[in-house]
Amino acid sequence: MIERLAPALSRRSRIGAVAALVAGTAGTVFVSTLWWSEPGPLPGSTHLAFALFTVFCLVWVGYGGWLLTHRVPLFATDQVIAAWIGLAASLATTALVAAVAVQRGTGTGVALAVGGLFVAAALALAVRAHARRAALLRRMRDLTGRE
Amino acid sequence: MTDELLVVRAQLGERAALTELLARWRVPVWTYVRRMLDAERADDVSQEIWLAVVRCLPRLREPARFAPWLFTIARRSVTDRLRDEYAWAKEAPVVSDVVAEDPAEAMVDRAALVSFLSDLPVLEREILVLFYLEDLPVEECAYICQIPTGTVKSRLNRARRLLREHLEEKGYRP
Repeated sequence: MIERLAPALSRRSRIGAVAALVAGTAGTVFVSTLWWSEPGPLPGSTHLAFALFTVFCLVWVGYGGWLLTHRVPLFATDQVIAAWIGLAASLATTALVAAVAVQRGTGTGVALAVGGLFVAAALALAVRAHARRAALLRRMRDLTGRE
Repeated sequence: MTDELLVVRAQLGERAALTELLARWRVPVWTYVRRMLDAERADDVSQEIWLAVVRCLPRLREPARFAPWLFTIARRSVTDRLRDEYAWAKEAPVVSDVVAEDPAEAMVDRAALVSFLSDLPVLEREILVLFYLEDLPVEECAYICQIPTGTVKSRLNRARRLLREHLEEKGYRP
């Protein structure tokens, strides 16, 4: 039976799901911040291009989220690793977006605020994942001691 | 090693613990599914159940209650396949059952039980399988079927009576 479940348990599927969610979220933040911080009025076709690109990234966010909630099991240790990947990606995206905003001279505050929000969310997820793993390890030690 | 310890280790990501958990519960789950469904569908449904179990295992908050949780998932898959039978069973008028323990009836031979199960209505069959074949207590049967414990007892009573009638019709004497 475990062989039949191998595809759902494979490391590749877990990495793929986390990558889809992280890349989609980072892409959405990056593109939408660029869009908002564009200096001067933009032609309609540019707005359309930004909108399409944002939607494309949001689709990846949705797909990654669906995979992680319905298809791919993330066990406690996986959740800790995924949370740290998310935190690293949030920091990198915030730094990149802030650098672009500073270079352009507009929207630095918005970039930092949005990036900060994502970093805070990723940090909260990392703390929660560590707490959950620690609770399971404590329970495992209790049960092992009893046996 | 207890089920709870195995579940906790599996939730931490230990593949060996998950494998052992599967090995330990594969047959009970298959028995439940096979008694509720025909052989053709039993394998597919068993696999579907285990896939759902593996996907939901990280979110199980009470590892000590693994067995009822597992059978709740199994029951959901079986219910999906027997939707018509369950719908019909729910519409059937409820007979006023007197809840009474009958040790003679409770000692129904397992082999006879298995051979006559398929003749019983789905609700009675389900409760007999969970209580007698899976050895689950009344409280856990109630949790799995999402009914009060009193209803479990009355269904068990009715199921035993039906089974006894079937057995007598076929000339079986305990």
